[in-house]
Amino acid sequence: MTYRVSYSIYILHGIYQPKTEEVVRMTIDISPFETEMNRGFLQVLVLVLLETDMYGYSMVKQLEEKGYGLEENTLYPLLRRLEKKGLIKGKWDIREDRPRKFYVITKMGRDVRAQLLKIGQRQNEILNRLLKENQNV
Amino acid sequence: MSEKLENYLEEISRYLGTGKEKQEILTEIKSHIMEKAEQEYGEMTESSLAKVIDSYGSPRRVAEKYMDDQQIIAPAFKGHLLRYTALLFFVHLALAVVALIFKTQLLILPFFYIPEMDNFQALFYFPMIFIYDLGLVGIILYFVTQSGKNIRLPWPRFKLNWQKMADSQQKKPKVFLFMLMLMGYLAFVYVYVRYSTLFFKSLNPGGVEALFSPEASRWYSLALLSILGAGIFAYLVKFFIRSEWVNLLRSAAQLVILGIVINRPIENAIREFIYFDIHLVADLIIALIALILAIDFMKSLIILGIKAFKKKVSCPID
Repeated sequence: MTYRVSYSIYILHGIYQPKTEEVVRMTIDISPFETEMNRGFLQVLVLVLLETDMYGYSMVKQLEEKGYGLEENTLYPLLRRLEKKGLIKGKWDIREDRPRKFYVITKMGRDVRAQLLKIGQRQNEILNRLLKENQNV
Repeated sequence: MSEKLENYLEEISRYLGTGKEKQEILTEIKSHIMEKAEQEYGEMTESSLAKVIDSYGSPRRVAEKYMDDQQIIAPAFKGHLLRYTALLFFVHLALAVVALIFKTQLLILPFFYIPEMDNFQALFYFPMIFIYDLGLVGIILYFVTQSGKNIRLPWPRFKLNWQKMADSQQKKPKVFLFMLMLMGYLAFVYVYVRYSTLFFKSLNPGGVEALFSPEASRWYSLALLSILGAGIFAYLVKFFIRSEWVNLLRSAAQLVILGIVINRPIENAIREFIYFDIHLVADLIIALIALILAIDFMKSLIILGIKAFKKKVSCPID
């Protein structure tokens, strides 16, 4: 944010003349849009990931390895919501000195996941079709 | 456990409220933070925990993420909150003004109690009315939201077109109307000068008889003349200044005069009247005048409010 503001001041004073794309990149903060877009995606991602038992921290690491960085404080509330809806099932493991809650997908979760994946696929098809049409215009 | 981690979890716990799952949520966050500190910084120290806590987010933000689907009042009720509060405040304030003029207390079950107060106390009491009404409406909407049912709340439409009313207040005053009012007023003044009263018990050709005692006659007649005079004077001012403030000040002045009249005790003011209880009738008439003036006062306040709001947002208001 500081970076963006200070650059804007330079631009205002005419010290720095940016190219058009550069201005767009610097002045629009896309993080709120990204958060909005990620909300549904993360839900599907978790349902896919939980084919095997996992706990919060291991999921974060796994997703990071796959190139998807997420805010940890977003994951746990999501897991709780999915558990409440019966899509995943949680179980505390207290065998080690630190208790961990392991989650795994349920039968209902698998059904929902299959449908969500279909919806995602259809959305992609529509998007691609529209982008293609735009290219032809 | 580290003090920082303990404080962090304690603060999150405060924001989470009193949910059943609170302890489980906190245990899960604690477990995550400790594991991350150990895995990423080699060991769990105060400084490694502090770094992980900082990256986990502010306690309030963390707690809010668990409450995304919990609302105190549904955002869709924002309009209802404002509209219901405005309506309730209008009625409540008008009643408070009446109570102030009559120097009495009002109790309307089950929620409203307006204490007996003097003008100075009223200055503090009136803003409290707004806060009270806002709170009351808020509580009702809270219960409606928490019920989780799809309740359709009524949407009272103001039949009065405030916009139109505000515009009509700005109309140019008519000379003819003013002359008519002035002549009527002078006629009243003439009657008062001649008979020292404006209230008569009988108008026999042989001799008129005043309704009140001489002192009360003078007092009430002068009060009536002052109230009417304030109205005519305000109309005259409108030839030069066409502002809603003129109406507001007029209503305020008339209310003050009425308040003074009511609160001045006059012994045996009303003479015996055989047909019906004249005291009751007199009280009712004064109450009616007070109510009309109070509504007028409120109307001016609302119109001024709408104008100020319009200036701010520059959009049409229905």
